[in-house]
Amino acid sequence: MEFIAFAIAIAVAHQALKGYRLSKERTLLYLNLSFVLLGAGLLIDGLSNLIVLLARFHRGFLFLSALGYTINFLAQLLAYGILVFAYIQQTRNVGAQVAMVALPVFFFEHNAVTELILIFLLVYIATQTAINYSVNKSTNALLVLGAFASLSIAHLFFLLFTLSAVFFPVAHIAQLFGFLLLLAMLLRVNESV
Amino acid sequence: MIPSEQGQAAKPASKYRSQLRIYVDIMRVIQRESNQAKPTRILYGANLSHDRLVKYLEELKSVGVIRETGTEDKVYSLTQKGIEFLNNFRKVESFASAFGFSI
Repeated sequence: MEFIAFAIAIAVAHQALKGYRLSKERTLLYLNLSFVLLGAGLLIDGLSNLIVLLARFHRGFLFLSALGYTINFLAQLLAYGILVFAYIQQTRNVGAQVAMVALPVFFFEHNAVTELILIFLLVYIATQTAINYSVNKSTNALLVLGAFASLSIAHLFFLLFTLSAVFFPVAHIAQLFGFLLLLAMLLRVNESV
Repeated sequence: MIPSEQGQAAKPASKYRSQLRIYVDIMRVIQRESNQAKPTRILYGANLSHDRLVKYLEELKSVGVIRETGTEDKVYSLTQKGIEFLNNFRKVESFASAFGFSI
């Protein structure tokens, strides 16, 4: 699932880069950076989990899973932070500022704190996309809103996974669904002319 | 393709059109006029002063996205490059708009 999401994230990043080259609009560069980071995080997490799986959960390889999650978490933190910054720039909301927190360098397992941070960022982004949809009422805006709402829900399930393993596959499905909605938006944009 | 905005001061507030937006507005007026637009139509359609219109038309001609035809009365039309640019711009605009970003 991570590999599919990775491919979609890179496709979104590519479209944003094409837009930036054409328009020199900085928010599109932020969007590109954000999705490159998301893609990189997903790829590393997917690869590390694949290696652990291929090694049949050998004790010597288990640290890779935590390493992959840590890198993915940091990549997502940065990616969603950049997106939040882009929305703040766009709306000229100078009162809202992102507090940069110095993160101690150690490996994270799936835990409530990391997921809560990501949920906080994603809910902000989903709210901005909801405001955008309420203004322009386009299907593409609705797909982006759906994508970030799904990603928020996915991380809510990742949070609940700390309580029960049942939520783990559900979280992955919600995450994949979010990226598939972004893919649908991309296809619509490129077929619109 | 289109002259960039390098050298400009800080990005203006949204009530001002960017240079790129003005280029696109001019090209859209030409396209709307069945790809045969007289300067007065462009002037009113793109909401520009005469001096600025002349300047922008020259810039668009120099990058090859529009061409000037007509002998007595000037008429402007989009080149193939101009049509492709507008199509690409429409995709980018649609993509950015989906995220709530304006260009």
